[in-house]
Amino acid sequence: MIIELGHFLLALALSLSIFQFLVPAVGVKFNYHSMMKSTSIISYMSFILVLFSFLSLVYAYITSDFSVSLVAKNSHSLKPLLYKISGVWGNHEGSLLLWVLILTFYSVAVAILGRRLPLKLLSLVLSCQGLIAVAFISFILFTSNPFVRIFFPNAEGEGFNPILQDFGLAIHPPFLYLGYVGLSVTFSFSIAALLVGKVDTIWVKWVRPWTLIAWVFLTIGIALGSWWAYRELGWGGWWFWDPVENASFMPWLVATALLHSSIVAEKRDTLKAWTILLAIIAFSFCLLGTFIVRSGVLVSVHAFASDPSRGLYILLLLVFFTGGGLVLFAKRAPYLKSGSLFKPLSREGALVINNIIFASAAATVLLGTLYPIFIDAINNSKVSVGPPYFEAVFIPLMVPAILLCAFSPMLSWKRAIIDNIIERIIAVFICSLFLASLIIIIHGGSASAFLGLFLAFWLICGTLYEFLIKVGVKSSFKTFIQRALNLPRSAYGMSVAHIGVAIFIIGVTVSGAWRIDIEKPIILGEKIIVKDIELTFKNIKKVEGPNWNADRGEFEIITSNGAKHFLYPERRFYPASQVNTSEPAIMSGIFSDLYIVLGESLQEEDSFAFRIYYSPFISWIWFGILLMAVGGILSLSDRKHRLGYGLKQV
Amino acid sequence: MKNKLKYFYSYTPLIVFLILVLFFARQLILKEDPSELPSVLIDEKFPSIILSELEGYKVFSNKNLINANGPSLVNIWSSWCVPCKVEHEYLMSMSNNDNIIIYGINYKDNKAEALKVLDLNGNPFYAIGADQDGMQSINLGVYGVPETFIIDRDGNIRYRHVGPILEYDMEKIILPIINKIKQERL
Amino acid sequence: MTTIIKFIFCFFIISNSVLADNNKAAYELYKELRCLVCQNQSLLESDAPLALDLKKVVRDKIELGQSKNEIKKFLVDRYGEFILLKPKYSIQNILLWLGPILFLFIGFFVTFVFLRKQSMYKEEPLPLTNKEENSLKKILDNNVS
Repeated sequence: MIIELGHFLLALALSLSIFQFLVPAVGVKFNYHSMMKSTSIISYMSFILVLFSFLSLVYAYITSDFSVSLVAKNSHSLKPLLYKISGVWGNHEGSLLLWVLILTFYSVAVAILGRRLPLKLLSLVLSCQGLIAVAFISFILFTSNPFVRIFFPNAEGEGFNPILQDFGLAIHPPFLYLGYVGLSVTFSFSIAALLVGKVDTIWVKWVRPWTLIAWVFLTIGIALGSWWAYRELGWGGWWFWDPVENASFMPWLVATALLHSSIVAEKRDTLKAWTILLAIIAFSFCLLGTFIVRSGVLVSVHAFASDPSRGLYILLLLVFFTGGGLVLFAKRAPYLKSGSLFKPLSREGALVINNIIFASAAATVLLGTLYPIFIDAINNSKVSVGPPYFEAVFIPLMVPAILLCAFSPMLSWKRAIIDNIIERIIAVFICSLFLASLIIIIHGGSASAFLGLFLAFWLICGTLYEFLIKVGVKSSFKTFIQRALNLPRSAYGMSVAHIGVAIFIIGVTVSGAWRIDIEKPIILGEKIIVKDIELTFKNIKKVEGPNWNADRGEFEIITSNGAKHFLYPERRFYPASQVNTSEPAIMSGIFSDLYIVLGESLQEEDSFAFRIYYSPFISWIWFGILLMAVGGILSLSDRKHRLGYGLKQV
Repeated sequence: MKNKLKYFYSYTPLIVFLILVLFFARQLILKEDPSELPSVLIDEKFPSIILSELEGYKVFSNKNLINANGPSLVNIWSSWCVPCKVEHEYLMSMSNNDNIIIYGINYKDNKAEALKVLDLNGNPFYAIGADQDGMQSINLGVYGVPETFIIDRDGNIRYRHVGPILEYDMEKIILPIINKIKQERL
Repeated sequence: MTTIIKFIFCFFIISNSVLADNNKAAYELYKELRCLVCQNQSLLESDAPLALDLKKVVRDKIELGQSKNEIKKFLVDRYGEFILLKPKYSIQNILLWLGPILFLFIGFFVTFVFLRKQSMYKEEPLPLTNKEENSLKKILDNNVS
C-alpha cells in the first residue's frame, strides 16, 4: 500500500512540477506578480511529495518487501541495514529518484534563500528548475519506474552487488548528486539571466556560492568514489580513467573553471558571457555523464544495467536542455555588455589562462572518452583509449595550471607589473627546487617524481608566501595576528584549497613513484619483507558474515619501530548473487599504506596467491582532495558569499 | 559585418554539441555491443598453430585447411563452457546435414572431460586438436569460447563468430557465407 | 643552474637503468594492454583467465629479449588495436593526440581576439610607472596599518 502511495505521490509531483514550470513563466510573461509569488509554495509542495515518495521506497527496502520488483532485484533480507538503505540508490531507478529528490530540495533552497532576489529572476530560475524536474520525473515514471510490483514474489531477494556494499560507496551517490544537481541551479540562473537579458552584480553574487556548493559536493563525491575504488577493487589503484569516472570528472573540471571565472565576473564585472557558457556546459556535462553511465554506449566497469530506450530518452533530455541553453546563449550572449578591461598580465589574465586550461582539460577528457565512438563511426574500427593516454596528455596540461596557481594570487587586478613579483617568483622557485632535489637525492627517483614534487613544493611555497605578504611579513607579532584575523575567509579558503592541490600532488607522485608491488604465492607461515615491514602469513580460516562466507587470512605485521599489527584479507563468497569478491586488508597510515589481497588457493597445499602493495603517502591523495573541499567550505562561509548577503541594499 | 561575425562565434558551442549528439544517436540506434570485437584476421591466412592429440581423434593442424575441397569451420570449444553445449547440436546438424567439414580446437580443457562430452553428445568434428594451455589460440586472437571461424578453400579466414552459434546464427549468418564461398570459382 | 640541469639529467639515466629490469618492463606493458574479456581494465588489473594467458605471453617474450614494440605488434596483429590502451600515433588517432593542443590553441586565440577587441573599443589609461606604483603602494600600506 505504501509503495502505491509513493508511486501516486511521484505522479502528483510531476503535475506540480509542470505548474512550477508554467505558473512563473506565465507570471513573468504577463507580469502577474501573484503568480510569480506563488511559485515558491509550489516548489515546497513538490519537494515534500518527492520526499515522501522517496521515503516509501526506503521503507520498502528496510522492510525487505520483495513484492516490489526493484527491491527483489537489488536487496536481500540478510543485508545490513545501512546497505539496505543505500541499496535504494544503488540501482538505476532508485538513483534517479534520489536525483529528483535533490533537485526539488535545491529548488526549495533557492526559493527560501532567494526571497530577496528580484522576483522576475527568482521566478525564472524556479521555472527552469521545474522544467528539469518535469523531464526527470517523467523519465522515472515512463521508463524506469521503481514502484513496479511483481505478482508472484519470491521469498528472498536476489541480493545487492556485493562489491557495492561499502560505507564509502553508500554515501558516494548522494554527494555526487548533490554536486551534479547543484550545477542545475547555476544552469537555471544562467538561463534566467539570458532570458532577462541582464547579467549584473547581483546575478554573479548569487551564482558564485551555488557553484561553490555544487563544487564542494562534487569534490567530496569524487573523492569518496575514488576511495571506494581503492579499498574495494583490490588493485591498489585509485583512479582508472574509466568512462564513468570521467563522467564525474568532466563536470568537476568545468565547475572548477566556473569557480574561477565567477571570481572575475564578481570582482571585475567582466567575462560574464563566458561564465554563463561555463555554467551551461557544466550542467550539460552532468547530463552527458548520466547518458554515458546509463545508456551503455561505452564499455565501463561501473555502468548501470543499460537500456537503449532509456539512452534515447536521456539523449533527448540532453538535446533539449543543452541544445536549448546553447541556442539561447547564441542568441543573447552577443548583446551582453562586456565589462571592464584588463591587461594579459593581471589577476584576470591568470584566471583566464586557468579557465582555458581547465576547459581544455575537460574537452580532452571528453575527447578521450568518446574517441572510440568517433572512430567506430568514421573508420569502422575499434580503438581503446585508456589510462596511459590520459596520463600522457592530462599531466602536461595541468603543469602550467599548477605553475600559474602559485603566483596568480600575487598578481594585482587589472594590470600587474612583473617587476613587483619577479623576486617572489624566483624565491619560490629556488625554494621548491631545493626541497624537491633534496628528496630526490635522498630517496632517488625518476624525473616525473622530481617534477611532481617540484610542483607540489612550488604551490605550497607560493601559497604560503602569498599569505605572508598579505598579513605583512615584517610587521610585529601583534599586527600579524590582527591582520591574519582580519583576512576574509575566502582568502583562507583559496589558500587551503590550493594547499590541498599540492598535498594531492604529493600523494599522487610519491605513491606512484615509490610504490612496491609484490604478486606471488605465499605458503602458510612464510615471512616476507616489504621495505622495512615484516609480514608473516600466520593463518587462514573460514568465517561467516551476515550475507557471505569467506576465507580469511591472517597476517602479522611488524613495522620498523617494532609495533605489531594484524591484517585480515578476505576472499568472500556471496551466495545470494553467486559472486566471489576479494576484500583487501589495508593498514593505512599517514606516511604509507600496506595493502594485502587474498587471491585463489593454489594447487600446492597451504599456498595462496597474494598481492601485496606498499604505497607511501597514498592517503594524502584523499586528504588533499578533502582539503580542497574544506577550502571551498571556508570560502562559502565568507560573509560576502553568504547567500543573500548585500541584497538588502539593492 | 562585425556583428554577424560575433553571431557566428556564439553559435559554435551549439554546433559542436549537435555534432556530438549525432555520434551518440548513431551509437544508440545501431545498438552494437561495444564490447564485441571484430577479428583482425579476416582475409588473412589461418595462422600456423601446433596442437596436441585428443586420444582416438585425428589431429587438426592448419595444414588441413590449405587446398581444401571446400569451405570449412574451425570451432573453439571446451567441456567447461556452457554456451558450447548449447551450440553443439547446431554443429552436429551442420556436420551431418550440410556436409560441412568442422575442425575443433579444444581450448584449455581436461582431455578426459572433453572426450566424455564427445562420447555423450556426438562428434561433429572431422579432426580435433587440443590447445591445453591456451597459448596457441592466442595466435587466432581468441578471447572467449566458443568462437567459430569460417575458412575458405585457400585457408583464408573469412568470418569469425563470437559466442554460441544458435539456430538464427546458423541459418542467417554461417550457412549463407559458406554457400557464397562454395560458389566462388565454380 | 647548469648543475641543477645535470642533476635532473642524472635522474633520467638512473630511472632508465631501473626500467631495464624485465619485471618492470612487463609491468609497464601490462598497464598499456587491455584485458579483452573484462569491461574496461588493463591486464595489470585483471585476474581473468585470458588476461593471465596474455600476461604469460608478454613475460615469455620479454625473456626472449623482444622489445616492447615487438610484443605490442604481435598482439595487435592478433587482437587489433583495440588491445592497446594507449592508442598508436597514427593518422586515425591524430585528432586524439593533437586534440589537447588544439583546444589550448583555440582558447588562447579566442582570448587574444577578445582582448584586442576590448582594447580597440576602449581608451586605456596610461600605466603607472614603477616609481608611481611604489609611492602609491606606500600610501596604501600606511592606510592599512
